[in-house]
Amino acid sequence: MSPGIERIRQFFFPSLTRGFLLRVSVVAFSAYLFFGHLCIPIFIQGKSMEPTYRHGDFNFCWRLRYIFSNPKRNDIIMVRFTGTRVMLLKRVVALEGEWVEFRKGRLFVDGREIHEPYVRFPGDWNLSPRQVEKDCIYVVGDNRSTPIEDHHFGQTHLQRILGGPSW
Amino acid sequence: MVRAKYAIPGLLVILGLLAFYFFFPSEEKKIKKQFVLLSEYASKEQGESTFAMAHKVKNIGPLFTDKVRLQIPDYELSGSYPRQDIVNYALRARLSFSRLSLQFFDLVISFPEKKAATVTLTSRLTGKSAQGEEVDESRELSCVLKKIEDQWLFSDVEVIEVLKK
Repeated sequence: MSPGIERIRQFFFPSLTRGFLLRVSVVAFSAYLFFGHLCIPIFIQGKSMEPTYRHGDFNFCWRLRYIFSNPKRNDIIMVRFTGTRVMLLKRVVALEGEWVEFRKGRLFVDGREIHEPYVRFPGDWNLSPRQVEKDCIYVVGDNRSTPIEDHHFGQTHLQRILGGPSW
Repeated sequence: MVRAKYAIPGLLVILGLLAFYFFFPSEEKKIKKQFVLLSEYASKEQGESTFAMAHKVKNIGPLFTDKVRLQIPDYELSGSYPRQDIVNYALRARLSFSRLSLQFFDLVISFPEKKAATVTLTSRLTGKSAQGEEVDESRELSCVLKKIEDQWLFSDVEVIEVLKK
């Protein structure tokens, strides 16, 4: 057998040596650590963040995004439930201590209207002013065309932030 | 020959462990099984027959204790309800959907008492309403299950507010 063919054969059908098994274990463990805990693959389901993120899009949840800092206004974050199998993708609109309200679909924070160029599907929401509690942020989806009662949004604790989308 | 001498007892030990695992499940496994059953009985496929629906709804009742405390503000359920009411709610909910799937994820089980377990989990309800509207809702739940006659039964179901409007 020529050396070229032998090399190809070795590539696809390697010998089960100790070194090979060690390399496979390291790769498998690294992949588990990276894709299971640091950069979690996600499929976006639902329309609450349209048109920024569409139903069926693929992305990654980057867990280290907020390890040294807290989210800022306009950041897109992932909010966890019990674990990491299901999470909510939302945009931060108000921070701790700020007053947030909606008037006929327009967002006001501390009484000032916030320009939201990412909202392409506006609604006519009305929500009386409420203050964001300590260690919390206020998150809303970009798609405001659904009735306010059907849209899952509001204040959440910073501990529930899992990270942010990779792009 | 030497290998065969050790292989057979080794195999028997593995088979014994597997048999023990399947025939004597842990309490956690028994609790997870109750969630699997609830998911199976609550879910509905498109075009489900009346017989299948009656069979599933009938099996929902025995998963709950006689009195069940519910705290589900989205559906205006708050207080203590008899088991039959739970069955009626389940039946009504199934009728209002042409397709329904209820799934449970990330179960965290703890045992505050010997015969009581607290489970926090993520539930996801997807489906299509009878009016043709797509539904996709996720909620965090806190459930209490009580062990009655060697059966873990749901006694409390509460929705935990993750986003507070």
